[in-house]
Amino acid sequence: MAGDAIIAQNLIYSYGQLLAVDDISFKVAEGEILGFLGPNGAGKSTTVKMLTGQLQPKGGQATLLGIDVARNPEKVQGNIGVCFELPNLYEQMSAEENLNLFARLFGIRPFDADALLKRVGLGGREHDRVEGYSKGMKQRLMVARALVNRPSILFLDEPTEGLDPTSSETIRNIILQERERGATVFLTTHDMMEADKLSDRVAFVDNGKIVVLDTPHNLKQQYGKRALRVEVARPDGGLDNREVILDKPETAGDVQGLFSKERVITVHSEEASLEDIFIEITGRGLVG
Amino acid sequence: MNWQIVRALIAKDFKLYFRNRFFAFITVLALVAYIVIYFVMPQTVDETLEMAVYAPVLPPILEQAGSQGLELVLMESEEQLKEAVVGGEYLAGVVVPPDFMDKLMSGDKGQLDVYFGTDTPEELQDSITVLLEEMAYLQTGQMLSVRVSPEVLGRDMVGIQIPMRDRLLPMLAVIILMMEMLGLASLISSEVVGRTVQALLITPMTIRGLFAAKLIMGTSLAFIQVLLFMAVTGGLNQQPLIIIVALLLGAIMVTGIGFLVASGSKEMTTVMAWGFPALIVLSVPAFGVLAPGTVSDWVRAVPSYYLVDAVYQAANFNAGWSDIWDNLLILLSFDIVFVWLGITVLGRKLR
Repeated sequence: MAGDAIIAQNLIYSYGQLLAVDDISFKVAEGEILGFLGPNGAGKSTTVKMLTGQLQPKGGQATLLGIDVARNPEKVQGNIGVCFELPNLYEQMSAEENLNLFARLFGIRPFDADALLKRVGLGGREHDRVEGYSKGMKQRLMVARALVNRPSILFLDEPTEGLDPTSSETIRNIILQERERGATVFLTTHDMMEADKLSDRVAFVDNGKIVVLDTPHNLKQQYGKRALRVEVARPDGGLDNREVILDKPETAGDVQGLFSKERVITVHSEEASLEDIFIEITGRGLVG
Repeated sequence: MNWQIVRALIAKDFKLYFRNRFFAFITVLALVAYIVIYFVMPQTVDETLEMAVYAPVLPPILEQAGSQGLELVLMESEEQLKEAVVGGEYLAGVVVPPDFMDKLMSGDKGQLDVYFGTDTPEELQDSITVLLEEMAYLQTGQMLSVRVSPEVLGRDMVGIQIPMRDRLLPMLAVIILMMEMLGLASLISSEVVGRTVQALLITPMTIRGLFAAKLIMGTSLAFIQVLLFMAVTGGLNQQPLIIIVALLLGAIMVTGIGFLVASGSKEMTTVMAWGFPALIVLSVPAFGVLAPGTVSDWVRAVPSYYLVDAVYQAANFNAGWSDIWDNLLILLSFDIVFVWLGITVLGRKLR
């Protein structure tokens, strides 16, 4: 069984009187993708900053790869990659120069920037200055920069927000490839679909606390409605919807009746989306 | 500290500095401009005082005035004299009446009309008046009850006056250093605003490494330029080692000030808003060298005074270590204070 790459124990952080992170504890296993979901101001970024050594916790402890982050941030930072939400690249340098700089900071020599740039779809543009890149290209370069040191843990903050479908797909594929390589991925996002597709587990964060942490499948099972939604054709050519509740003694008969008496067009299981579950748990949506 | 990381950051900063078209342009242009300014300034000092005279009959004593450092230029009419003085060609004009000598010889009181330009300093007006009275007394053979002493107070600069361009040298050096301070501050604030510093700080690079790189880069940039300027203008002909040490300490000081300016700035406009007042204050001691007597003793409270004075004394008067060690020591103290203060304040902002 894989060990824990990230252990957060009773993490607390406040900005003045505002308690941003309120006694958060969780673990992320090696090679796992954890989706960290929550609305703006929920405490996601503050948690990431404490985990990556950018902020000293005011309480509790963060351990990454067995190293106490607060005590030895440089050692931790040598083994992680961070992709920020907003581009923070050296715009007057080329993509290749940006990656080479960070490779030197991580002490990696020789370093093949071109191969990494090809991997994120920036091959052929490696010598162009970043200031001329589109938003999607910059974001892909940000992801490439986070991979320079082949990190054991990858922190990604809204890596696909506002990107075109091609760029988003490229980044999603890279996340999955990194997981295949054995890296742990800590994914902060608003995008429920993305979290659902990529994450092994998701944590819902609200008001500085983790309100639920489980696999998307379990959450859907727990909070979703166990029912079938059946579309049937009307004699006039229109469509009607029927709902068959599962787990009832008469369920089998209801299904049989539908198929024998009516012309069934489609059948879907009615499972809740992560957004529905978040709203059910917290009473509010993820955006805003 | 990981020096490989520091080297990488320095190389990156130099690359970014010279890729900023504004700063690359300003750096080269300013250096060339300052060198040109130096060379177009007079190389020598004219120590003669020119005075216009209208005298139908020139008194003998005035004929010998030229050998006393006073050059008299004869005018053809009183109107011509007045026009020349009003036009600023001469500091003063003297009209000698035709019967002036006769009146003096007969024991009567003679009268000279003296005209001054509006910008002739009061002290100079008094001096010229006294000079003319003395000459009149000499002409009549009566001695004045004034004791003349050959002692010269202060450094006797007769014949070895410092040319304007050599007086300008320390000021230009300070301005070059301060311009680089603005460049450094702009570079740092753009890193903060662009959040690239955030990306740097989640690598194995430490905040100490970051400041070491900025300190070395800022000091090198300022020092190399000012050294180049001094070398081209001949400012290193005397006591080069002392001047180099003084300039290096000056470059470190402006780097510390650059950290402070960067800590209070968000972009170029605020860098200028903080930087220019600092530049003006630090230039004040250099004005004192340019125009002696225009600044008071409080100028010693301005840190750049010790840089300006050290460079001025070494370059122009061949002052040695024993003459200006105290200047260098005080400058070093200011370096420590400014760098420490800059790192503390900017460090808080970066964290």
